[in-house]
Amino acid sequence: MKHRIGLAMALVMTFLAVFALVPAMAEKTVITYWSNDRHDEAYMKEMIDKFNASHEDIEINMVIMTDDFENSILLAYDGGTAPDLIGQSVTLKNMVDYQAVVDLTPYIKADEEYQKVNDPFNHAYEGLNAMGESIYWVPSGMRSGVRIEYNKSLLAASGFDGIPATLDEYIAMAKKMTEDGAKNNPVTYGIGFTSSSPFERQLEMMAQVSGIYYYDYVNGKFDFSGYKPILEKGRELVKYAYPDQQGVDNMRAQFAAGSFALWGNASQEAGVFTNQFPITDFEWGVSPVPSLDGEIKGALQTNPNKGYLMMSSCKNKDAAWEVIKYFQSEEFLKGYLEGGYTMPITAYMDERIDKSKLGRMADFSLLEYESVYPAVPAVNLMGDDYRTVLWNAIMGYVDIDEAINDLNTRYNSAYDDDISFGSVKCLVIEDYNPLTPSAGTVTWLDK
Amino acid sequence: MSQKVDPQLRPTTRPPRPVDKRMRLKESGTVAAWVMLAPALIFLVVCSIYPFLWIFRYVLYNYDGIPAHTRFTGMRNLNTMMADTKFWGSVVTTFQYAFWKLIFIIPIALIMAVLLNQKLRGSSFFRGVYFMPTVISSSISGMIFTFIFATGNGVLNGILQACGLIGVPVGWLTDPKVAMAAVIIMSVWAGFGNYMLYFVTGMTSISEDVYESSRIDGANGIQTFFYITLPMLAPVLKVVLMLAITGAFKDYEAIMVLTNGGPGSSTNVMFLYIYNLIFGTGSNAARQIGYGALLSLVAAVIVGAVTIVYNIVAKKLDDVV
Repeated sequence: MKHRIGLAMALVMTFLAVFALVPAMAEKTVITYWSNDRHDEAYMKEMIDKFNASHEDIEINMVIMTDDFENSILLAYDGGTAPDLIGQSVTLKNMVDYQAVVDLTPYIKADEEYQKVNDPFNHAYEGLNAMGESIYWVPSGMRSGVRIEYNKSLLAASGFDGIPATLDEYIAMAKKMTEDGAKNNPVTYGIGFTSSSPFERQLEMMAQVSGIYYYDYVNGKFDFSGYKPILEKGRELVKYAYPDQQGVDNMRAQFAAGSFALWGNASQEAGVFTNQFPITDFEWGVSPVPSLDGEIKGALQTNPNKGYLMMSSCKNKDAAWEVIKYFQSEEFLKGYLEGGYTMPITAYMDERIDKSKLGRMADFSLLEYESVYPAVPAVNLMGDDYRTVLWNAIMGYVDIDEAINDLNTRYNSAYDDDISFGSVKCLVIEDYNPLTPSAGTVTWLDK
Repeated sequence: MSQKVDPQLRPTTRPPRPVDKRMRLKESGTVAAWVMLAPALIFLVVCSIYPFLWIFRYVLYNYDGIPAHTRFTGMRNLNTMMADTKFWGSVVTTFQYAFWKLIFIIPIALIMAVLLNQKLRGSSFFRGVYFMPTVISSSISGMIFTFIFATGNGVLNGILQACGLIGVPVGWLTDPKVAMAAVIIMSVWAGFGNYMLYFVTGMTSISEDVYESSRIDGANGIQTFFYITLPMLAPVLKVVLMLAITGAFKDYEAIMVLTNGGPGSSTNVMFLYIYNLIFGTGSNAARQIGYGALLSLVAAVIVGAVTIVYNIVAKKLDDVV
């Protein structure tokens, strides 16, 4: 009997001890962060572990989501299971209209150290990370505009030593390399395209530097007619392409295996061809994209990236802000930028990183004509987006003129509807200059 | 002249006692039936009827999932649908896909079932092998066939070239003229094992005595198949055909992974088009839940109409046979 009483008392004591510990453990506020970046996972985890080990009050829980990022967030938000912080790969207007995100401006204004490192007020891009006076995320860096990555061996075998300045010469080069590659075993090709947004990765950017853009900022309307010469030349270019347009990683692997000579993508390829698909059998170069006539008439688009948004459903906003501060602290960003995960966007961080550690990222340094374009109003478009339609025109699935007319009609019709409904305003920049697109005076009209 | 009725013989108008009603219900099994049906009914209401009604209300709205953007547009979605050549193109593509799939999948499943029903050595093993694609997820099937059908370094082109059957690699996934063939090959591979199993099950119910009699009468294998197996499998065949037809009209997952409706719109079946509209994926710039809801209803009507037509034809054939 005594044994039983003793056992019972021991059990009670154990339960009490456990329950006494629970509140102490629960005091740590967990901040959940959803990201769709996979390339920086190792560094993020390492730094998060470091944070968690040194903080007794906050714990960061990073979840890497795969596809359908925005839909997943909105579904989670509706279901009451949204994370506290999310990566910036979302349509800001949708998130703001959904009242799902928090204006970070008060936090930013109250934190001088954060301002010093991140220079947020000089990197507030209307429609991209800011709306009016409200800033919803601040970029930690930027992705370069598209470059041409090329296989130096295949170029040399066809008598080339670099990327030409005009699109016609570029097509001729791809043609020559494909013809020469037919004698190789295995056969090699001049150029390769992916099935994942192929228009964006080369020809759209060649159009941009030629001064062609799909939104007419001066008149406040969509206009795709400028793309016609690009589409016509694109039809010629795809004749000399690797026969498959597979997913982007498959095509990167093909480029790394030497199956084709020319590949177009932005600065993330520095890490891809160094770590993910390391190129060891040949030297590869990086070059600016050619333009229609060799002249640069428009800016090449760069993308501010690696920002963090705070969800309005976050119950511990101050703790979440501490996490954002940590992710965008000098210590964190130094390692992130030197690791080549993105390029510096602020002069402050640019001065503090050891550029010798950048590796191939140095080849993607910003060109003088690279810039951030003002975000084009997101319209409630019915049907295929312009990149799909224009690529279909290049591939010959639809007529070029029909494609352009279709886009002009559908985009402007959706735009007019949205303006009349009041869900968007008409963006006009009367003093717009395609070489300095973000320098103009933005006007929002209710027309 | 009134007639006196014995009160004991007068029919009673008094309602039966509650206890009797309960007893009757209990004895008839009604309660037990409802209890057993309840889980299925609840799932039907929650997972099918409610979502259907939920989406039905957006048919007249422009709705992208964000309440602030929602607006009543009346008949506009309907007008858009009438002029939406891509949607009607996807309907035609769906019919083409279903036709070619059915043309191949049913005979292949039937032939394989007959062969595997011969009780030859290893037939159980092959039954398992042929059924295996059915349990592989559609997206995985799509990915596997992406590698098989790749133009430059695909397995299929490699084999065909090695055998000398083709000189130039075929653009299975990049040529609009042959992409549908690639999609059908994949879907037949993924689906025939399932129908084969139905046929095998149907054949096991055919009495061995019938086959024995036919053998005594001197029937050969082909005659046995056409005069014994096929007629006696008719009820199973009818069900399998209906499942195959409705299944073929609703296929889209593996197509999404394999071609995503391309090249161009050559493999864009209607449910893939609708999926991309509603979820704002693929090439759609914005989610079109309202318009997608309307197209879902129209697609359901199309599939329903095809099923009804099939049932009428099957019934008429029954009467003829």
